[in-house]
Amino acid sequence: MIKRKKLKNKKNKQSNFAKLSIFQNNKYKFKKSCPLSVKGAPTIDYKNIRLLKKYISESGRILPSRITSVSLKKQKELSTSIKRARLLALL
Amino acid sequence: MNLYEHTIVVKQDTSTAQIKKLTEKYSKIVETNDGNIVQTENWGLLNLSYIIKKNKKANYIHFKIKGNGKIIKELEKNESIDQNLLRYLTVKVKKFDLEEKYFSKNDEKEKKENNKN
Repeated sequence: MIKRKKLKNKKNKQSNFAKLSIFQNNKYKFKKSCPLSVKGAPTIDYKNIRLLKKYISESGRILPSRITSVSLKKQKELSTSIKRARLLALL
Repeated sequence: MNLYEHTIVVKQDTSTAQIKKLTEKYSKIVETNDGNIVQTENWGLLNLSYIIKKNKKANYIHFKIKGNGKIIKELEKNESIDQNLLRYLTVKVKKFDLEEKYFSKNDEKEKKENNKN
């Protein structure tokens, strides 16, 4: 397993390295399309904690859309549903 | 007629019989106000992510209600007085998705993990 992980990391590094210039270290820079408005994407809901956990930081704050590249419409839905989950102490 | 999702957070000390009574009590309130309960879910004991009134865990009950806004007024009026409850939340929705159950799946996974350990 460890070997596989190492291999994967190497692959990612290579592919990123080809795209990145030396001065840009942002790994989200080249992800442009919104991951939640693709066909077959999961619906945003305050009950779907596993999805919402991807879009909050370790300290529980909502991540900005410029980092996660979520579209504006979906970001609004996300923030309301995260706040609902917080009220129920699910997040 | 509107569609509502309604969740109640019940204190951890309440017994299963009491929880049943609570669900019956609130479903009666809905029915007396010309409402329909489409579905009730019991999510069971879940860990709270932060402590509410010295409770670390809580029982969650989830209703899916079809009816007028009067029902919600009546429900929340009763729930704000109730001492067994910690929180309640109502959300107006356009459609119910009755198939997806986020919390029953979690239980199965946790059981598997416990078995492994």
